[in-house]
Amino acid sequence: MEKTADMQLERGIQPDAIQSGFHSQITTYLGPIIIIQVLFVLLPLFFILAYSFFKSGPYGNLIFEFTLDNYRSILDTGYAMVFFKSMYYALQTNLMCILLSYPLAYYIARYGGRHKAFLLFMIVIPSWTAYIIRLYALKTILGSNGLINNFILDLGLIELPIRFLYTPWAVSIGLVYTWLPFMVLPLYASLEGLDPSLWEAATDLGSAPFRRFVRITLPLTRGGLLAGTILVFIPSLGDWLVPYLLGGSKFMMAGTLVAHKFTTAGDIPGGSCLAAALAFILLILLFLVIKFGGREALEQAL
Amino acid sequence: MKLRIWFLKLVSLGTYIFLWAPVLVIIVFSFSANKYGIKWEGFTWKWYAALFENETVRDACLRSLVIALITVLVATPLGTLTAYGLYKLRFKGKEFLRTSILLPIVMPEVVTGAALLVFFIKLMPFQLGYPTIIIAHIVFSTPLAVFVILGRMQRIDWSWEEASMDLGASRFNTFRRVIGPLLMPGIAGAAALIFPWSFDDFVITYFVAGIGDTTLPIYVFSQLRHGASPVVNVIGTLFTVITIVGLLGAKLMEKRRMTTDI
Repeated sequence: MEKTADMQLERGIQPDAIQSGFHSQITTYLGPIIIIQVLFVLLPLFFILAYSFFKSGPYGNLIFEFTLDNYRSILDTGYAMVFFKSMYYALQTNLMCILLSYPLAYYIARYGGRHKAFLLFMIVIPSWTAYIIRLYALKTILGSNGLINNFILDLGLIELPIRFLYTPWAVSIGLVYTWLPFMVLPLYASLEGLDPSLWEAATDLGSAPFRRFVRITLPLTRGGLLAGTILVFIPSLGDWLVPYLLGGSKFMMAGTLVAHKFTTAGDIPGGSCLAAALAFILLILLFLVIKFGGREALEQAL
Repeated sequence: MKLRIWFLKLVSLGTYIFLWAPVLVIIVFSFSANKYGIKWEGFTWKWYAALFENETVRDACLRSLVIALITVLVATPLGTLTAYGLYKLRFKGKEFLRTSILLPIVMPEVVTGAALLVFFIKLMPFQLGYPTIIIAHIVFSTPLAVFVILGRMQRIDWSWEEASMDLGASRFNTFRRVIGPLLMPGIAGAAALIFPWSFDDFVITYFVAGIGDTTLPIYVFSQLRHGASPVVNVIGTLFTVITIVGLLGAKLMEKRRMTTDI
């Protein structure tokens, strides 16, 4: 008798739950989401993977014959360079976002006082405003007859407009602009969770501010940093519109290529290789985040 | 010490300006009489009037509204059910399920879009269009509801449920009369968040939309190659307002929690 009660506790359900049947409960509550996840998330991903590893016939039908040709042809056409370039841009974006977000999140968490909610809200709004609209807005500012150029032309500092748009610089700025809020929020969540008495203890014990930051604050916000990295690195690696709209038609990144392959070129196997590679990098990062305790910061940031 | 706070303030202020300036600029210029949408030539409402006379925009707007509404109506109850199951039950594979639910949110949108596109055209009997857009929106919106409501579940007092069931109420009635009302702020908050989340989506929608069914973000995309235009400024303002209203709604729900908590 006692043993069964223990088992029930272990499963974390109330005794009455047992009566009505444990499995039927899973089916009732989680059945729908499991169907949706399997059918519309896992299966499609699996198909992308299959398309990248199998031959495909002339009409895009799968032929079940294992091959690495798709990957080989992706490498041969120089798309590997595009991929590495994207990694570089994503890394750069991630670092820039950390450099800007850390002071900001730290400021809100420690000195925000009664304005905390408002300050956070002002970060959340841009992160939720349609991304295409924000890029359009950035474009109107950077364009050759955009706001910045008009302003310095009117001042008479330059004769001809400076080209901001369609340069690698514009892409860098655009990526940071788009994904920055997604670094601030998890960082804030993990900084807010810190016990202030830790700082006091460190200070009392004679720790200098910098040392205190490196030894205490930074390690304790590791989860937030990792969660922020997932929310910034991954989408900037796979970003389509920023390079497309701000980098010009010749500026290719991984996301632009995937979009191009699927929506314009109709090259499903080629696109699938790139998409599979992106998904793979995401899964590795996700694994690391969960391993190092960033899950909570990640789920909270939503 | 003083210097450090000044440094933090400066960086923070700069970051806020960086995030907000572009959005503020298009809001301001949506009221400018200049027809290239980029110079200030006096205040006008005429672009707002022009927006509602433009049939393509009106249709796209209506379509986006309908899609977002259906998504909210399906994803919110589904998210509630899922969150309840995830919170209550412990079973093998739960962590896997939780991570898989996270996937549609953290995956690059082009990957989700591409995967759904291939799946729809190769395996499903659907035509690309309304049904595929709505399915896609439900897929990437439900996770949001799940995690928002799970967050709420961690903060309510579950002994009320026990009490209600000890007194003989069924699980369903307990949910309807006790737990449901306690969770309401979280559920309504999730709904308020999903609306702009679905209304704003461009990338995934573009992949699965096919040719005919233009949503508002897709319309904006088609206009972008023409550069700035006052009508797009107005649409941008509309998007910003919808987002702010949705988020404020969610925030207010969150506030109400304080008074309903016992």
